[in-house]
This record gives sequence, C-alpha cells and structure tokens, in this order.
Amino acid sequence: MSTAGRILGGRDHATSTTVDCDVVVVGSGAGGSALAERLTARGLRVVMLEEGGYWTRHAFDGREDHSYPRLYQEMGNRATDDQSVLILQGRSVGGGTTVNWCTCFRTPRRVLDHWRDHHGVKGLTEEALVPHWEVLEKRLHIAEWPLDRMNDNNRVLWDGCGKLGYSRGLIRRNVNNCANLGYCGLGCPLDAKMSMLVTLIPDAVERGMTVQANASVRRVLVEGRRATGVEAVLLDPETDRPTGVTLTVKARTVAVCGGAINSPALLLRSGLEGNGNVGKRFFLHPVVIMSALMPDPVVPWTGAPQAAYSHHFIERGAGKVGFFLEVPPVMPLIASTVFPGFGEPHQELMEQLAYVHTSIAICHDGLLPEDVGGTVRLRDPAERRVSIDYPLRPIHFEAFREACKVMSRLQLAAGAREVRSLHAVPVRIRKAAEVDPLLDAAPWEAGRVRVATAHQMGGCAMGGDPRTSVVDGTLRYHGLDNLFVVDGSVFPTSLGVNPQETIFGIARWASQFVAAATA
Amino acid sequence: MDLPPPHPVGLGRRSLLRRGLLGGALLAAGGAGFLALRGGIPVPLPPDGLLVFSPAQFAVLDAVARRMVRPRPGWPTVDQVGVARAADRIAARTEPSAQKELRQLLGLFENGLAGFLFGGRTRPFTALEGADQDRVLGEWRDSRIAVRRTGFSALRTLVLAGYYQSPTLWPAVGYGGPPGIFADPASNEEWRGGDQPRPDGNGVWHGEPLP
Repeated sequence: MSTAGRILGGRDHATSTTVDCDVVVVGSGAGGSALAERLTARGLRVVMLEEGGYWTRHAFDGREDHSYPRLYQEMGNRATDDQSVLILQGRSVGGGTTVNWCTCFRTPRRVLDHWRDHHGVKGLTEEALVPHWEVLEKRLHIAEWPLDRMNDNNRVLWDGCGKLGYSRGLIRRNVNNCANLGYCGLGCPLDAKMSMLVTLIPDAVERGMTVQANASVRRVLVEGRRATGVEAVLLDPETDRPTGVTLTVKARTVAVCGGAINSPALLLRSGLEGNGNVGKRFFLHPVVIMSALMPDPVVPWTGAPQAAYSHHFIERGAGKVGFFLEVPPVMPLIASTVFPGFGEPHQELMEQLAYVHTSIAICHDGLLPEDVGGTVRLRDPAERRVSIDYPLRPIHFEAFREACKVMSRLQLAAGAREVRSLHAVPVRIRKAAEVDPLLDAAPWEAGRVRVATAHQMGGCAMGGDPRTSVVDGTLRYHGLDNLFVVDGSVFPTSLGVNPQETIFGIARWASQFVAAATA
Repeated sequence: MDLPPPHPVGLGRRSLLRRGLLGGALLAAGGAGFLALRGGIPVPLPPDGLLVFSPAQFAVLDAVARRMVRPRPGWPTVDQVGVARAADRIAARTEPSAQKELRQLLGLFENGLAGFLFGGRTRPFTALEGADQDRVLGEWRDSRIAVRRTGFSALRTLVLAGYYQSPTLWPAVGYGGPPGIFADPASNEEWRGGDQPRPDGNGVWHGEPLP
C-alpha cells in the first residue's frame, strides 16, 4: 500500500523546476498544517514548503547541541537586533509544534472581543472557533495533565500559588501515550507529542499533499491583483546553504504561513508592504525569568515541561501590562546562556542545576494603545536573517519588575533557599522582606536583564481597515484576490495565553476562505 | 564571588553622548584598517583550521573563554573542550552578515584604541592579566552604551555555547544526558510517503471519523 503524497528534501531535485498545484502553503507549523489538512480534505492539490529540514523521531536524540541547529530559527540564537530579547522559534517540518512544550489554551474571549472592538476584526468570534477547537482537541488528544504526574519544577509554581492564594490551573497538553520524559523542546522521541509533524501533516500527505522541506521561499509572485505562486531556493539539508536549485510553485492560491517573523519578511521581499503595515505590530509575549535554588533536587529537565499555570495577574488594571506564570524546562546548554554572569559565580550556579527551579512571567503585550509592539524589517534581501526591533518600554519594565516580585514570593513560599533575578548582575534574595527593596533598586533597562520569548505574534495584523492592517477578516491580503496569511502573524495583539491552539483554530476556520478563493 | 559592581557614574552628559555616538560608529567600523589588531598574544590554532575567524580573532575568543569558564575540579578544561574552535564552528553556521558582525566585535573588543576610548586601557585584551580581563568584561556588560552591552551579550553567548555544547561537561553540572529511550532502534525509519505506507504510531487517528 503506497501513499498518495510525498515528503521531499533539499537534495531531491537535481535541477531547477516548476510545479503546479491548487494551493501552495508556505510554512509547516501550526497555521500551515491545520490549513493544509482541511484543504486536502476538500480534494485540493496542496504543496507545502518548509525552510527547515525534515527531522523525525529517527533524528531526535535529546541532545541540545544537535537539536538547536536543526530545529530552531538561527540555531536557537535568534534575537532582537540589540540582543535584548532572545527569540526561541521553531524551524523544521512541523514548525514550532515540533519543539514547543505542548501547552494548549483556547483564545480568551476578552482578546477576541478586543480585536473586534479595537481592530475591526469581524466574524472571528468564540462561537466561530469552538467547533474547530472541539475537533482539534479530539484529534490532538488535548487534555489536562494530571496533578499526580506533575514534575517537581512545576510543583514549585503550583505550591507557591497555593500558599499565597493565587489562582492556579493544570495545563492541557497535546500528547498521546506521553512518557513524561521532558524533552518536548528537542523533539519527541516517542511521537507522543501530537505535533503537526506526526498528525495533520501526515494526514494531508496521505491525501496527496507534497511537502518540500529545505525550501526557502524568497518571494511571492504577483500579477496584477493575483498571486500566481512562489519562488524558493532549495537548501542543502546538511549545511543549510543554497544548493543553487530553484523551485517555482505555480498555484491558484498562495497561503503564507511562516509565522510572525518570516511571514512579514516574505511579504516585504515580495514588495508587498501593506501600506506600511507589514512587519509592524509585532508582539512577542516578552518573558522575564526568576531562578530559585531549592533545598531538594527538582531535576528541571525531567517531566512534562509545562503542567501548572497561573493567570492571576493577567489583568492588572488600567494602564498596566498583565502577565501569566508558567515554568520552563531547564537544560544545560540553554541554561548556560540564559543564566547571567560568567566565571566562578556562573559555574557555581550551573553546578547546582538539578536544584534550580525557574519560573517565567509572560507579558501580554499589545493591548494598551501605546503598546504598538516591534517591527520586522529586511536586512540584505539575499539573506534569511531579518532585522527584528522590539523596543522595551516603561510599561514593560513595570510589568517585569512586578512579575519578578511575584515570582520571588512564590518561590520563597515554596521553600526556595535563595532566588535570583536574571539581571546581568543577579539580584539575590533570601527572604520575602527583601523582595520589594532589592527588585525596586535593580536596573530595569534593555540589555541589563534577560528577556526572552517563545511566542511570536503579529507583523501581518488582521483588521477591517486596509490603512491600519495587512489582512482582512478572512485573512486575505488587502488588495490581492488570492493571497492569504494564515498563522500567528495575523494577530493584531498578543494573546495572553500560549498561542498554538489559537493558531490551529484560526487556520482551520480560515480554510473555508482559502478554499473559496481557489474554487 | 561576583564581579565588581558597575562603575559609578563619572561622566558628564556631553561626554557620555560623545562616547555613545563614537561607540556606535566604532562597532560599525570595527574591522576597518585603523582598528586593525596589533600586539595581541597569539595562541595555537586548531589543527583543522578556522572557518570564520582570523588567528587574532581566535585568540580573543580563547582568552574570553578562559575567563568565562574557570578551571574547576571535575570540570573539563577550556582546552579539552576546544571552546574557541567550537565557537568558530557555531559562527560558521550563521549567515555572512552575522559572521561579519562577530568579527567586528572581536576586533573592537581586543583593540587597544577602542579600549582607550571606552575605558582608558591601551593594551590589547589578550595581553591583559586575568583580573584585568574580568574588569574589561564587566565594563562591557555594565556599560551605559547599549551597543557595548549588546556586544558583551553576543560574545558571552558565543563562548558559553562553545563550552556548554559539549557532552563532556554534563557530569560537572549533574546532568545524566538524554534517557536511553532516545536510542530506540524502532525509530530508525523515516517515512517519506510515496511507495511507503504511513507507519502506525501515536499520531495516527484511530477514533471515529472527525468532521
């Protein structure tokens, strides 16, 4: 028994070639995959292009030094131009879903309402999304991770919230037969994570979709009001350098699904600037981190990475940026670069890694009128690296400072011997009374405290007005008949929850418009 | 032991502004002729050569690595890991513009003229004693000139990644490595569709047909 479709790599074409299809989908992450699965179910011929490689459990060896170069944008070193924000973003077949930490939330209603009321987004309601979420939650086995399987790293957040009376919840995860290993961020060796790599992409390939990995799409081809296809250069799967072979995909409809940095960059390379809106309103849920030395080992690289959360501080009142709390897994290589300092103090902390718990506060950027986000721009158009500017503003630093106070108190309440900020010179706190004075006195300035992000959103904002947005309420690019953007880049603000389920839902919902444009 | 605290505020606004502007211009021109490396201390090069950096830039990486990772019982040494070589290999996978910026950064970091303009030092970084090298690193880290903090962050990340990428340091930090399940021989199959049927697995849907 054979399969109707195929998965190809960068060496599978010896010479430049042109192929035809109904819809070309650029990007294989949460958006592209959920869209492509629906399009193939309607009988459409789909070609999916992915810039990263095709890596499967065959290659997932749990080693950071192998995984970051293979599975992350810029080998895990993507950052804003000033290095003030580290950007963790996936790059392989499955996109972010191959390496994320399996956390699933439906879009909060208040965020959808905000988009309707402040950005003119019509039709994208909770009622419209619920039927799609219900199907996806079944298909991807999305379910609450039980408390009795929660690892000790998450338990610190859970216990701390319990002791201080903050609301807390158990995270819903997209896993099936999960062994609680904790290596989700390096690719699941059991195919237990219900990533796009092992679910909706193979479903679509069985219906005839062609996946072309190692294909860096350089531009969208446009004639008049219509996109006619895309042009890609193939990359060598080993070196990631162009092979010299070009792949042109002619299509009746083009769907750009490269995520919230690469999608706006592709539009800009194609001369599609959306009245100057492409690349603007870029949000990244800026994250601040507090580390804690616990009296007993928490072994923070073991067990489901994210199992507990708190949304207690997501709405902090007028004029303030809210935040939500989760924990990250901690592994040696990334810990060494994220934890501050160098020399002996740095090594002393690294030596105690098994005892180190870290909490993260994820800031809900983009809701306040002055919180207009960052900007994605082109550098050398021949390069894949783009310019990413995200000015951290006083409203962010206020949230960072207060979030670090909250996390410190939680960690101390849960029994931490000492908590440390991730300032370039760490603030070290041993008792609750020290939290406010020490963190108030700390330098809250870009480049003096570690800020990171694993959630990239915006850059191709949807909205009702072409003067202020890039795509309309059906995710169609303003001004073209058959070009769609279907990924997290269309969010006009950040979400306030981990984004994958929102992207799945919106992409599945939007498949009706893409299909209609292809008829 | 932590490094000395940031320098006390000692510069007037006009002076700071001038230094800030100059700093940006210097970083942009870090590889230019008037800033050419001179007087640095050479170090043995990797037998298999360098892919991105010059011998002088390699020497700077090597010197920074020796301050970032100190000799410590139970820890592999900078030489055993080959940190500067590993950093060169990491840089080799970045795009040309990033490589150029890293070369400029190392040139600026080493350079006596830039050191003088920033902080009054005239000797190249590689020619300084260890404690003085730590002081220079601290000055970059704590600088009021944002571009120097950016440079410090990039250099620190590159060097630490060059060290901590090595599995030989896992025992030192109490990390046992990936569990044995990663060696599962049953995973040795990469499905590519076409004449191959999709293998069964956790990702295959076995429930009722979904709408």
